[in-house]
Amino acid sequence: MSATSATLPARRMAGWAMTALPWILLAILAILPLLVPSPNFTRLLFMTFLWTTTSIAWNLLGGFAGQVSFGFAVFYGAGAYTTALLMNAGVNPLFAFLAAGLTAALVSLIVGLPAFRLRGPYFAIATIGISEAVRVVMTNLSFTGGASGYRILEHRPFRQLEHYYTALLLAAIAFAISWKIAHSKFGLGLKAIRQDEDAAADLGVNPYTYKLAAHALAAALTGMAGGVFARYAAFIHPGGVFGFHTSVHILLMPVIGGIGTVWGPVLGGFVFGIVEEEIVASFPEIHLLLYGLLLIVIILFEPGGILGGLRKLVRRFRDHR
Amino acid sequence: MTTANIPILEVQKLTKYFGGLAAVKDVSFEVRAGQIFGFIGPNGAGKTTLFSMIAGAVRPSAGKIRSRGVEITGVSPFRLVKAGIARTHQIVRPFREMTVLENVQVAAHFGRKPVRSPSAAKERAMQVLVSVGLDALADNPASILSVGNQKRLEIARALATTPDLLLCDEICGGLTHSETAAMLQLLRRIRDGGMTVMYVEHDVKAITAVCDRILVLNYGRKLAEGTPDHIQNDPAVIEAYLGTKAAGRS
Repeated sequence: MSATSATLPARRMAGWAMTALPWILLAILAILPLLVPSPNFTRLLFMTFLWTTTSIAWNLLGGFAGQVSFGFAVFYGAGAYTTALLMNAGVNPLFAFLAAGLTAALVSLIVGLPAFRLRGPYFAIATIGISEAVRVVMTNLSFTGGASGYRILEHRPFRQLEHYYTALLLAAIAFAISWKIAHSKFGLGLKAIRQDEDAAADLGVNPYTYKLAAHALAAALTGMAGGVFARYAAFIHPGGVFGFHTSVHILLMPVIGGIGTVWGPVLGGFVFGIVEEEIVASFPEIHLLLYGLLLIVIILFEPGGILGGLRKLVRRFRDHR
Repeated sequence: MTTANIPILEVQKLTKYFGGLAAVKDVSFEVRAGQIFGFIGPNGAGKTTLFSMIAGAVRPSAGKIRSRGVEITGVSPFRLVKAGIARTHQIVRPFREMTVLENVQVAAHFGRKPVRSPSAAKERAMQVLVSVGLDALADNPASILSVGNQKRLEIARALATTPDLLLCDEICGGLTHSETAAMLQLLRRIRDGGMTVMYVEHDVKAITAVCDRILVLNYGRKLAEGTPDHIQNDPAVIEAYLGTKAAGRS
């Protein structure tokens, strides 16, 4: 009895901390580029926010609903190209980003309608096939420049901070959506599907439409991230945004951080975003191999990712006290 | 004809072939509201196939299933839930990474009278847990429950979808005598609360103890139907269970 009354305020404090944490983090990240005015550092964080957005997005489908997709480059690329084409047609970047999200969501339906007839590994394999097919088509599509890529001409001065805050806002929106879903009926339905799709259906959950909805939402966020990236890079090509390594990166982050949780994909996104460039620069030939190894190690030793490992440590510490 | 006279479940000439083999052949019966209706039959008689067809898990080769006059043949399980038909599983299928309460909360959220807010769904789930006697275990992970309690959880989840018709698949399988007795008592309470129950069980004793009406299957066909007393004295049923000699002697 005394033990529970002693832990109750502690638990309430922890609850407060968890509610305040996103806001504190957001505030720090908002003022960080002003305190550290280094274009390189700002660019690194900018990319980290985009990666984190896609990581959170992938987790909605792969983590909450348990549908492992190797095809998120399709949405990233679709968003990048939609933004590029619209901006060159004179559309305001903000509308181009929204259109990128919409396009990616529509593409996700085209992918999902047939692919969600399949389950587990078969779904995963289908997403690889679709993703590669899309990349090949984009490589040969002449009006977007095919394999040689597509350039965005923006008749406005380049302001890095504008890009930075766009990416930060997008990541914050992605996080808010993920947090909201985790505490909603929709999220519980997705978790039920992950654990036993047939049992979920026997309780009234429609697995097919729920998976399609999670897929579309994830695709929209990923597409917008692709759009924000395209505007910043001013040049995109199918081997980059539609590349298989893009799909692998997007899948790797939530796995590193902790799949199926709210904070795991954020953690994974930040770790990956910060070390990714170092790894690519240091091991240009074998960086994908390193990711593969990392994936194997995590799945073998700590399927819960960094967050799962931390939770175990905290529990052990608490038990030993 | 008033709605009360329309059977809650009406099965007409239901047939299922697996390859050339008829697992269920031309089975017809009706279930009236407020009954516990049971199936029995020797191993391989087609009980599970018949159950699965009614639960929407297996598509019939021929025949019709109606609920309150509305055809539900081949309708997918999540739509059956919306029509007021819910099932339990013989081999329990809890969501293992969820708590007992969350398991039932899913059903409250997505059942026939869907609840949107998590707190309202939790509240309804808790009421159901109290009614089946699992409330003390609400915050435990579903994976640590005993077999008996996992079977109770199956029932709790189905009840939380607020069905008219509850389909129970071998809910006493693997239970001890006292657990079985408690489970049958729970079934009676569910019926007395106004729900209709369809119950499949291997254990003839359990079925005859609790059912108002029983259907006997043998080799995929209907062998007999009636009250427990009637079934127990039917020579064809005795023959199917004990062989011809025993039937001749009785």
